Amino acid sequence: MSQLTGSPSSVIRRPATPPMRLGAFVNDATVRSVFYQAVTFVCVVGLIWYLVSNTITNMAQRGMSAGFDFLDVSAGFNIAFTLIPYREGDSYFRVFQVGIANTLLVAVIGAVFASILGLVMGLARLSTNWLIRTLARWYIEILRNTPLLLQIIAWYFGVFNLLPLPRASIDLGGVMYLNNRGAYFPAPVAQEGFALTLLALVAAVAGAVVLHIWAKRRLRDTGRAFPSGLAGAALILLLPLLVFLASGAPLAWDWPALRGFNFRGGFSVPPAFCALIVALSIYTSCFIAEIVRAGIQSVSHGQTEAARALGVKPSRTMRFIILPQAMRVIIPPLISQYLNLTKNSSLAIAIGFPDLVSVWMNTSLNQSGRAIPIVAMTMGFYCAVSLGVSFVLNLYNRRILLRER
Amino acid sequence: MSDAPLVFTPRPADPPPPSTIGVVGWMRANLFSSLPNAILTFLGGYIFYVVVTTIIDWALVKAVWEAENRRQCLDLVGRSGACWPGVVEWIPNLIYGLYPKDQVWRINIGFLILLAWAVPLWLPRVKSKVAIGLSLVLLYPLLASYFFHGGAQGVVWTALIALGGAAFLWVWLTTLAEMRFGLGFGALVARLAGAADDERARRIGWGALAALYVLALLVVSQLRFVEVPTRVWGGLFLTLVISGIGIAFSLPAGVLLALGRRSQMPLIRVFCVTFIELFRSVPLITILFMFNTMLPLFLPAGVEVNRLLRAIVAVCLFASAYMAEIVRGGLQAIPKGQYEAAAAMGLGFWQSTSLIILPQALRIMIPSIVGNFIGLFKDTTLVSIIGLFDLLSMSRAVGEDTRWLGLFIEPFFFITMIYFVFCFLMSQYSLNLERRLGEGQRR
Repeated sequence: MSQLTGSPSSVIRRPATPPMRLGAFVNDATVRSVFYQAVTFVCVVGLIWYLVSNTITNMAQRGMSAGFDFLDVSAGFNIAFTLIPYREGDSYFRVFQVGIANTLLVAVIGAVFASILGLVMGLARLSTNWLIRTLARWYIEILRNTPLLLQIIAWYFGVFNLLPLPRASIDLGGVMYLNNRGAYFPAPVAQEGFALTLLALVAAVAGAVVLHIWAKRRLRDTGRAFPSGLAGAALILLLPLLVFLASGAPLAWDWPALRGFNFRGGFSVPPAFCALIVALSIYTSCFIAEIVRAGIQSVSHGQTEAARALGVKPSRTMRFIILPQAMRVIIPPLISQYLNLTKNSSLAIAIGFPDLVSVWMNTSLNQSGRAIPIVAMTMGFYCAVSLGVSFVLNLYNRRILLRER
Repeated sequence: MSDAPLVFTPRPADPPPPSTIGVVGWMRANLFSSLPNAILTFLGGYIFYVVVTTIIDWALVKAVWEAENRRQCLDLVGRSGACWPGVVEWIPNLIYGLYPKDQVWRINIGFLILLAWAVPLWLPRVKSKVAIGLSLVLLYPLLASYFFHGGAQGVVWTALIALGGAAFLWVWLTTLAEMRFGLGFGALVARLAGAADDERARRIGWGALAALYVLALLVVSQLRFVEVPTRVWGGLFLTLVISGIGIAFSLPAGVLLALGRRSQMPLIRVFCVTFIELFRSVPLITILFMFNTMLPLFLPAGVEVNRLLRAIVAVCLFASAYMAEIVRGGLQAIPKGQYEAAAAMGLGFWQSTSLIILPQALRIMIPSIVGNFIGLFKDTTLVSIIGLFDLLSMSRAVGEDTRWLGLFIEPFFFITMIYFVFCFLMSQYSLNLERRLGEGQRR
C-alpha cells in the first residue's frame, strides 16, 4: 500500500474525456436521481391536479363555493359553552374563535391535571413499597389499554350524566356544586382597585424569578444554597395578599345559587366538559407516568451513589443531580403527550362538548356547506399548534444538547 | 492434657433473624420499611379494597343474570347491581354487528383461516416464514373479502381471490412439508416426481403451484356466497377489519415513507416530510371527517365510495404517517458502518436496504410497532363518530334498545374488557418478543 501512495506515477489517471455511453448514462447516480424525482413529481402533481379538477367539477355541479366570504355571515346557532363571549347572531369567524378557545381551555386544564396525576403515578411506579408499585402498575395498564373515546363516553354517560338533579346537587363544601347540568363554581368579580393586586402579583412573580436567578448564581459561585423556591412561593403568595388586604379586599364573589330549576350565577361548566377533562387527564396521566418513570430510571444509579459519597443530602440529590438529568429525557416526550392531549380533545364531539372540531368542522360545515375552507382552517389550526410546539421543542433540544460533552 | 489433636469444628451459623425471612421479612422489606411506607401501604390497601369490592359487588354479587328487560333489573336491585341479560342478549350483535345471522359462519371461517395462516409463523421448523408472512399481509385480504363481502365477482376479482386461496393452500402444504421432510412444497413435489436436475425441479415446483392455483380457481368460481353489504358490518368484526387493514397497509407504506424521508433526493424528501407532518399533526377525527365529506368531492362524479372504505382510507393514511416515524427511528439507530459495508460489498440501494438495514432496524422497532398497532386498534373506536357500527357504537346501541333503554354502563364494562384483553395481550407479547430478540445483543 505504501508503494502506491505518494509516488506520482502510481496515481490513476482518468481518461481526459470519457466516452458517453448509454449504459454509463443510465447508471449515473445523478441522472437516476433526477429521473426518479421527475417521475415522483409528475405522479404527485398529477394526482393533486386530478383531485383538484374533480373537486372543482363536483363543486360546480353541486353549486358549492370554496371562498372564505362566509366567515362574515351570521352563523345563527347557539353554542352550549363558550369561554369567550358569543351571541347567537355572531359570525362564523367568531364560531371559529370560540372553538379554538374551548379547545385550548380543555388542553391547558387537561395538561395541568394530567401532569400532576402522571407525576404522582410515575413516582408511585418507582416506589419501594410493593403494594403502591403494583397498584400504580395496574392503574396504568388498565387505563392505557382501553380506548380513550370509550373512557370519555363512559365518564359522560356513566358518571356525569347520572348525577342528581339540580335540586339535589352534590354540595362540595358549600363552594362547588355538582349536578347533571354541570359543575358550578363561584366566579370572582373584580371591584375597583383590584388591578393593584394584579400588579402586585406580576411584581411578585418577577421578583421570584430574579431571586431564583440570584440564588442559582450564588450557589454556583460560593456553594452556599438559598431556599429560593420557598422564598419565591412566599413572595408570590404574600405580596399580592398584603396588597389585596391593604387596598380593602376589592373582590366580590358571584356565588352560584339554586333559583327555580337550576343554579344561577357563578361560573359553570357543562357535564361534557367535566367528563372530557377527567377522561383526558386520567388517560394522558398513564403515558406521562411511564415517561417520568423512564426518565428517572435513565439516570444511572451511580449518580445517586456518587452524590451520597460526596455527602449530598438525599433531597438535594434528587433536585440537583437526578432531576436535571432526568428532565432531558422527560421533556421531549412529555411535550408530545401534551400535543396528543390537545389532539385527543377533539373527541369532545362524541359527547357534545363544543370544541373546535365539534362547532366548526361539524356544525358549521353542515350548515354552511363550505367543506374546503372549513377543513383547511381546522387542519391549519392543529398544524400550527403542532409545528409551533415542535419548533420550540427543537430549540430546547438544541439548548440541552450543547451542554453535553 | 490428652493427646487428641485439636479439631476445629465451626459452630453452625445462626439462622437469619425471623423478621428478615419468609412472609414477615418480605412484608417488612416491601410494605412496612418505614413509617410513611406503612401509612402508604394501609392507604393503598384501603383504596384497593374499596375499588375491588365495589366492582365485584356490582358486577357479580348483586348482579341480575336473568330478566326480560331493564325494568325488571331495576325492580330487583335498582342501580346497585349490574343488569347482564341485556349484554348477554346483545353479545352476537356486539361481535358481528348486523351481519345476517345465517351468514355469520363466514366471518368465523375467515378468522379461522387468518389464524391458520399465521400459525406457521410460530412453528419452529418452518423456514419460509418470510414468504408466509408476506403472503399473509398481501394475499389474505383478498380471501377475506371473498368470505366477508361475497357476492358476484368479475373475472379479475375471481382470479385474485383464487390467488389468495392458492396462497393459503401453499402455506399449509409447505409448512407440513418443511416440518416433516425439511423441504418446501415445490421441492418436495419435485423430489417425489424424481426430477433429474435443478432446472427440471424448478419447473416441476412451479407446475405444482400452478396446479394449486387452478384448484383454487375451480373452487372459488364454483362456490359463491351471498353478498353482505358493508353497511351491515359491525361490532368487534368491523373493529378488527378496520384495524387489520390499517396495520397491513401502514407497515409497508410506513417503510416507504421513512425511506423517502431519509432519501438524498430533495423532492422526494419534501413530499414525504409534508405528508408525514401533515397527518401527524392533526387529530384522526379531522381526517375521518375530511374523508367522509370530501372523498366524494375528490373523485369523478358517479364514483360511489361507501362509508367503510372512506374510513379505511383515512385510517390507513393516518397510521402510515405514524409508522413512518417509527421506522425512521429504527433506521437512524443502525450504525453508519452497516450502510457503508453494504455499499462496499457492491449492494445497490434496494438490496442493502432489504437485506442489511431493514432486518436489523425492524428488530429494534418491534416494541414501537406493536405500540402503534395497539394505538391503531384503540383509535378505530373513532369511526363510531362518523356513523360506522364498530364495537363502541354497538355497545351504545344496547342502551337505545327499547327493552334495555338506558343500559350503558354494563355494555361499556363488557367492551372495556374486550379492548383491554386485546391490547394487554399485544403489549405483553411485544415485551416477550423484545426480551427474546434482545438475547443476542445482551452482554
